[in-house]
Parts: sequence; structure tokens; C-alpha cells
Amino acid sequence: MVSIATARIKREFKEVVTSDELTKCKIKLELLNDNFTELKGEIGGPPDTPYEGGTYQLEIKIPETYPFNPPKVRFLTKIWHPNISSVTGAICLDILKDQWAAAMTLRTVLLSLQALLATPEPDDPQDAVVANQYKTNNKIFVKTARHWTNIYAGSTLAAEPEFDSKVKQLIDMGFDNHKSRVALSSHLWNVEHAIESLYN
Amino acid sequence: MKVTIKGYTGVAVWKWVANDDTCGICRMPFDSCCNDCKYPGDDCPLVWGQCSHCFHMHCIMKWVNGNQKSNQSCPMCRQAWKIKEK
Repeated sequence: MVSIATARIKREFKEVVTSDELTKCKIKLELLNDNFTELKGEIGGPPDTPYEGGTYQLEIKIPETYPFNPPKVRFLTKIWHPNISSVTGAICLDILKDQWAAAMTLRTVLLSLQALLATPEPDDPQDAVVANQYKTNNKIFVKTARHWTNIYAGSTLAAEPEFDSKVKQLIDMGFDNHKSRVALSSHLWNVEHAIESLYN
Repeated sequence: MKVTIKGYTGVAVWKWVANDDTCGICRMPFDSCCNDCKYPGDDCPLVWGQCSHCFHMHCIMKWVNGNQKSNQSCPMCRQAWKIKEK
């Protein structure tokens, strides 16, 4: 017998791939296996946000108990956002936890994630460092988020060239590219503080 | 001309009168049954909540009896789920 989870994902998948609303909103869904338990999602960064121009890959796992329990979703593309872990891509969003409802679909989840990119919730953080920066140094937060969009999410919009030269400075000292960028991002792009944290 | 009816076969169609075409939980048409049933109709009835949203009875029961707190509310509008007595 076909489980309710499989049957529903099949129907949802058709809804998403045929809906032209979703190509307009830059949302995609791709199947990774034949039993409809693992999918790959893709959302475009919303306009007028530091994520504009970026493309974000999402890992989607469908539990056997779907749609009575939410799908498990995390970001595969690295992102600088208060509600998304810059390390693991784990997402803090109520509808993926206790506010899930059986009438929600992968389509509404992807649209909600896009909305989360446009409206961060720093008081309910997944990444405390990013959330703190968002609240106390918003200008640097915006620049850092835009820089990550450029480096990791393939945006071609204006980057922050001085950030690149700082990262290069650390790479030249023998530090790993990504680790250097994380250290600098976490320390307001202060090179000395970043180096100190890399040594600790 | 005289016509004598020797016999006839009655045919009837039925459909659920709901405010939507598909069940929001399993996303199957209401005139079809939920995933666990074979035949639509009385074997797989619909129920309406006081909020006026409608689901296959089997689907909404699975939701309400689930382990999450939010499951006590309608999956469509989050109002407390109470079956509307007809």
C-alpha cells in the first residue's frame, strides 16, 4: 500500500512543478529518490534584502508521518541570517516545529522560508552571533549577509571588496578560506580579533 | 402509439457538498476517499468543524490524535477543532 506521505508528496510535487507562480517567485523542487522521501528545494533571495540575487539550496526530508508532522528542512547553501545556523544550516521557524499544520505543503514551506529571509526574527535566534550582530551592528550585518550571498549563493550583485581582501590576508597566513570568513564575520571584520579567535 | 415499459435501470450520482474540492490533509478530492480507504462515500465520510472547514473524518482524526499540541486546532485556520453537529 502507498503511504499517505508518499501519495501526498506525489500530488504536491506536481502542484509545485507546474505552478508558474513558483517560477516567478524563484522556487524549485527536485526529487532525490523514487520513494518521495528526500527532495531538494531551491529558493531565490527576496528583492530588497541582503539575500537578493542569491540562490539557496535546501535539504528536505519527509518523515513517514507526513503530513501529520512537518518535513525536516535545512539550508545546504551557507547563509548569514539570525534564524539560520551559519554552521549547520538548521532553521528556526515555528511552522517547521510546533506550529506545523497538516494543511501546509512544501509550496507553503518554501514560500515561508523566503519570507523568513525578508523578515528575520532576532529575538528567536538559531545563530546567536548573527542575531546579536543584527541587533547591535545592523549595518555590518547587512554587509556581511550580502557578502555571504555573493560568495556562497552565487549572487553577482555588488560585493564588499574590502571583505575579500581581509579574508585573503588570513588565507595568506595559512588559515582555511571558510574558517577565515566565519571568524571575520563573527568579529565585525576586525582582523586582529578574528586572528585571535582562530588561534583559540 | 403505445409504449409499454418492461423495465428500467435507475442511475444516480452523488457528491459531497463541501466548500472545497480536496481534503487539506491528504489532498485527495473529497469525492474520492482518504489514503487508508478503498471506497468513497459512507465508508470514508467527511466531517465539518465549527470553523466550517471540512476534511475526511479519518484524516482529521489522525491529526487531532497526533502528539503535537497545535494538533488540537484546525489545520486550515488554527481555530480550536470542534466537530459541527448537524
